[in-house]
Amino acid sequence: MKKNAQSITLLVLLITSIIACSKSTTTNVLPVSAVTVKDIPADTVVGLSAQGIPITNGKYTFYSLEKNAIVPNTDSATTKWDIAFLATRIIINGGTSGKGLGGAFVQTGLFDNLKTIPADSVFKTDNAPTSYAITSGSGKGWYTYDGLNNLITPLAGRVLVIRTASGKYAKMEITSYYKGGVTLPASASDADKLNKQRYYTFRFAYQPNGTKTF
Amino acid sequence: MKKLLLFIFFTPFLLEAQVLIVNDTMQVKGQGDSVFVTANRAERKLSNVTVPVSIVNAKQIQQTGSLRLTDILREQPGLNLTSGFGAGVQMQGLNPDYTIILINGEPLVGRTAGVLDLNRVALGNIKKIEIVKGPSSSLYGSEAMAGVINIITEATSVIPLAASLRYGSYQTVDAGIQNAFSTQSLSYQGFYNYYSTSGYSIRPNSNSRVTTPIGRFTFNQQLKYNISERSNISLAIRITDEKITNDISVSNGGATINSIGKENNKDQNVNLVFNHRFSNYLKTSVKSYFTEYNAKQDLVTISGAPYYDLLNHSFKRIENQTDWNINKQLNLIFGIGSVWEGVKSSRYDSEKVRKSNTIQYGFTQIEWAPSNKFILIGGMRFDKNEAFASAFSPKFAGLYKINAKHKLKLSIGGGFKAPDFRQMYLDFTNAAAGGYSVFGSAQAQQVIGKLSTLGQIGTLYDSYYQLKTLKPENSTGINFSWEFEPNTKTYISAQLFRNDIHNLIQVQQVGAYFSGAQIFSYLNIGRAFTQGIELEGMYKFNTNLNVSAAYQYLATGDKDQIAQIKSGKVYTRGANGYSQLLSLSEYVGLPNNNKNKAQLKFSYNKDNGFFANFRMLYRSNWAVNNTNGNEVFDKGDEFASGYISLHTSFGKGFKNGFSLQAGCDNITNYIDPQNLPNLPGRTFFATLKFQIIKKQNKS
Repeated sequence: MKKNAQSITLLVLLITSIIACSKSTTTNVLPVSAVTVKDIPADTVVGLSAQGIPITNGKYTFYSLEKNAIVPNTDSATTKWDIAFLATRIIINGGTSGKGLGGAFVQTGLFDNLKTIPADSVFKTDNAPTSYAITSGSGKGWYTYDGLNNLITPLAGRVLVIRTASGKYAKMEITSYYKGGVTLPASASDADKLNKQRYYTFRFAYQPNGTKTF
Repeated sequence: MKKLLLFIFFTPFLLEAQVLIVNDTMQVKGQGDSVFVTANRAERKLSNVTVPVSIVNAKQIQQTGSLRLTDILREQPGLNLTSGFGAGVQMQGLNPDYTIILINGEPLVGRTAGVLDLNRVALGNIKKIEIVKGPSSSLYGSEAMAGVINIITEATSVIPLAASLRYGSYQTVDAGIQNAFSTQSLSYQGFYNYYSTSGYSIRPNSNSRVTTPIGRFTFNQQLKYNISERSNISLAIRITDEKITNDISVSNGGATINSIGKENNKDQNVNLVFNHRFSNYLKTSVKSYFTEYNAKQDLVTISGAPYYDLLNHSFKRIENQTDWNINKQLNLIFGIGSVWEGVKSSRYDSEKVRKSNTIQYGFTQIEWAPSNKFILIGGMRFDKNEAFASAFSPKFAGLYKINAKHKLKLSIGGGFKAPDFRQMYLDFTNAAAGGYSVFGSAQAQQVIGKLSTLGQIGTLYDSYYQLKTLKPENSTGINFSWEFEPNTKTYISAQLFRNDIHNLIQVQQVGAYFSGAQIFSYLNIGRAFTQGIELEGMYKFNTNLNVSAAYQYLATGDKDQIAQIKSGKVYTRGANGYSQLLSLSEYVGLPNNNKNKAQLKFSYNKDNGFFANFRMLYRSNWAVNNTNGNEVFDKGDEFASGYISLHTSFGKGFKNGFSLQAGCDNITNYIDPQNLPNLPGRTFFATLKFQIIKKQNKS
């Protein structure tokens, strides 16, 4: 599959703990930076069949949070990737999905407020096809589907808490499912709804030191 | 004072006074007082009605050029029309499900997804439309939660023959004939109307019509026979038959499927009423009513796959009501009735088996006028249902005339809405859209249990185990209003209202198939409120020109959602796309409700039969789609823009019986294909009418 050009932008540094806050007990963990990634294609539509049915390649896009880069499909059987996307389905490198140590769960709350993953958190692993660490389905994992208008919207206030293939920790917030990070209105054309979908925009923070603190 | 009370109580027995209401909803002092029947289940002078009401009279219907019930309700203060499953009416912020539509006091049936398509009702022979807002008119039973709209057609012999023909944009033709005769003891009125339109599409490059080509025939016969001075019997038959060509294109994942659709909807009602007056103090009536609504929809796709939908709703009712004037201050009404209701649908488990319910009910109301300044009313109704829990609806209303200029009204009532057959018996799987299923609550557990033994069910939610016999939805409403007539030219009123709804029946996911497809059913889970202010004013510049204005402010909310927002569990997305907590000030309440609505109308009438009017309607924006990743409607969601629409109509009546009328609706051509499919662009019409007016004997 053709790799779409992608723009990767480094964004805001989390500086909360650097700013001196006299009363708080300071923990000596270096803050990790949050990175915003735009327009990661996730099995986008490549054409229409003679009957007008959309055609896709049916392949995941693999991503390394450590390297902050797309991993070629040829490396799908390795531990080089941490998370992969195919339409609304998200898999994590672990369990039935890969050889890695990966696991994940969806936490309700704000990205910035998740400073430390609670010790008693249970990381789920993929067990295809019955269950996935990141639950799929409208309203159950990270998105809702509006059947009337045929639109996917990422749920607000959901943080994907991820254990990577190498056993490190990361947190992620998906902000859009459409190209350019936009929110399509219900009145958007069918062509736009079809062709602009399956592009993920998300931000994540990766903690390379193995701790659960961001 | 005694005379006044006598007049109040004996109004039903008086011959109808020559009354004329100049404008929509208000009557200005010195212009007569009309009779209102819906609020008290008995005829009362409008000035003595204790709950918020309005009247739309025949003259207004005619002068605005309204053809269907939708046309005229669209222009009433505080009412909105909804689209989807036909055009329904939204009152005090409540959905069309909660307003009962009566024709001469008897309900219309045949709702699709809770909506009764008001285009079904032709306005040609309507004498007046009475509108009661708030559940204080709860004596009407189920559905009368937001209010009651009662369409009154009456046999009149003033016009022995009338014929009209109208032609307008989109090849819209409306032809009507009305005939009547009367003898000493017999009066008859017939009404025949044919309406057709080629429909329109305001969506560019679309072959599906927003308003579909329709041919609609209405047939109405009314006969009244005075058996004696004390007794009469009347029979009314009404049939509406509509044929709709509904060719549609469905886009499924980019593939467009064209289909040829044919719909046939038939609505028939028969109403037989016997009235007897025992004395000047006691009268009774027995009403029997039968109605049936048949809807059939065939859709054939180009690939040949047929789709077929059938609904048959029948409703039979017999009711006895007795009115007793105990003394000059006390009036008592009591009644009992029985309803047999049944629905057959292709969306239930078997379209051959009729789902049925029987209801026995009783009601009573006492009206006390201790002085000519006070009127107090207390009433209650009890409905015993076979298919679901019983319902009790109380009401209380009071009127206080401070002086000749000021009047206060307070009403409090409880209303309910019975679970409808769809919520109990639906058995619907949408194969086209991912295979989700909706099962009515009465059989969801049984059906899902069966599917489970076949190994088809993947997961069951907690809500599945909470499924039980549905309770009626109920509401309590309070209305307070002040009316002020400073002089004979001016009328002002202000009204506050609040409705609290409990046990709202909502669709809830109860489980999922192994394939992941969702399974839904219905549960009593919601709590909501609507509240607002309504202001109305009217001023008569002179005998020819008057102006009226109205404004409504409306606030609505889902109480559970508000509780969740308050406890910090609801998120939204900021401008940067990142999640943040939703604050209560960003919450906008229930969808499809606009906060502000206003109207301004000018009406000009001359003695020589010339009239003209100009109407301006305004609606502020309203939330239509959840786009920012939470389940509540807030400022970050998608809104339909507010808009103003302008309408005008003018005409002249001639002495020889001919009259001409022309008009233009939506002058500025405001369209919004996505959110206002019912609002066509600018349309024109012209009407020619001829009527024979019988000279009335002055007696």
